[in-house]
Amino acid sequence: MSFQDWLNDDSKVILFDGGMGTELIKRGLTIGKLPDVLNIEQPEIISEIHKSYYDAGSSMCQTNTFGSTPLNLKRYDLDNQIEEIIRKALINIKKVCPPGKLIVGDIGPTGEFRPPVGNATSKDWHASFTTQAMLLEKGVDLFHIETISDIEEITTAIKAVREISEKPIIASITYKKTKKGFFTIMGDSLEKCIKTLDNEKVDVIGANCTLGSNDMLLLLKEAVEITDKPLSVKPNAGQPRIEGASTYYDQPVEEFVDDIRKMINLGAKLVGGCCGTSPETIRSIRKIIDSF
Amino acid sequence: MPQNEIYNRISESIVNLDEETAIELANQALNENMDLLEVIEKGYADGIRRVGELWEDGEYFLPELMMGARIMQNCLDLITPHLQKETERITHGTVIIATIEGDIHSIGKTIVATMLRAYGFEVHDLGADVSIEKIIDKAIEKNADIIGVSALLTTTMIGQKTLIQKLKERNLEDKFKVILGGAPVTTSWVEECNAAGFAENAVKAVSLVKTLIKK
Repeated sequence: MSFQDWLNDDSKVILFDGGMGTELIKRGLTIGKLPDVLNIEQPEIISEIHKSYYDAGSSMCQTNTFGSTPLNLKRYDLDNQIEEIIRKALINIKKVCPPGKLIVGDIGPTGEFRPPVGNATSKDWHASFTTQAMLLEKGVDLFHIETISDIEEITTAIKAVREISEKPIIASITYKKTKKGFFTIMGDSLEKCIKTLDNEKVDVIGANCTLGSNDMLLLLKEAVEITDKPLSVKPNAGQPRIEGASTYYDQPVEEFVDDIRKMINLGAKLVGGCCGTSPETIRSIRKIIDSF
Repeated sequence: MPQNEIYNRISESIVNLDEETAIELANQALNENMDLLEVIEKGYADGIRRVGELWEDGEYFLPELMMGARIMQNCLDLITPHLQKETERITHGTVIIATIEGDIHSIGKTIVATMLRAYGFEVHDLGADVSIEKIIDKAIEKNADIIGVSALLTTTMIGQKTLIQKLKERNLEDKFKVILGGAPVTTSWVEECNAAGFAENAVKAVSLVKTLIKK
């Protein structure tokens, strides 16, 4: 079965994976280290986390390449290692991906903003996303462009991927809740973002990170009214609490999963988790999906 | 034109992000030998304060906030050389600002630096992933009042505490006030670090710096 078959099967809810960063922190991710570099330095840990999500019931998991664009890697002086980072990322996930399940190429933001906030241009973004997508293409079944907070950056990323691949794309933006509704930090409304993505060559429109499951549920209620395309949600497990130098996500799994159940009832086609969610969360969502 | 009307127009030009008018009014104030401190305080500073309020209310977003601060900065660059006496030069204080080593998140720190400059502080932005020693050395070199240190990762926050400990080791803890920034920072973390304060956004950071410098 391909991703497209899953999308065409009305009865199927596709279960994505949960957080990678917070799982790495649990395993002692070193201070200031880019998780992507662990593809080379501690591949067994990356494979172990992917495996834990597949075992918990994820139908597909994403590569540990959230920060692997040349623009982002350059800030860590790692841009010359991009080929090796992505090559290893693909090996780490492939060896634990069970038959019948899929591998998603993860593409995160470049971290560079356009003026007046930063100095990035569409050309810079395009070149950066093209490099990443080309390195991922052969090893993945589809792409997830995610956690983007600028509509121009995400459309540039979609264009870059589409120029080199015909594989499905999930395009997820991250929103904050304001008095006037859901907006990106750059000021684009949920409606504008979804309508823009509706006209792009993407297969699924998504929202991920920043919002907890309760706010994501509110967002989804609005989103289903705006588009007929399949929708994906990957909320955080509530808001983080800091104690000492550690972060905790306290939201009970049951509460998160109950919100996910409501989102499935509203019509979410893809569900999963972002920061603070774990294989335990995914296992509980699996039970809900299987009970439908 | 009555002076109050000019102040209002200046303030409006900042709120409307109308750089052309803002610059034109700065030149007019210079040509008419107006009280430039009043022009800054009642015109430009009022405007950027209102931009900050709109941002906090979710009416304005990052691009508007940054644009407002930059327009104001460009106007201040025109006006400040004409302030007559050295004492009129509006350096309210000197701030060293950086994102801690190991952390490459710079956007929040850059916004705070831009807003502080817009409010007339002398700001030295050292960038992201800056070593503790470099931050301290720069603070000494520039005779800073405040050190602002940002951390966006829970894994790099510990550097904020280490910086304050290093200042103590070098007997510099009374010389500089250290303020913290970054999404994971909370009041309890500020207390644990023994820092002078923290601000959850750029507007509050300006108020915090003003309050600390008055002390």
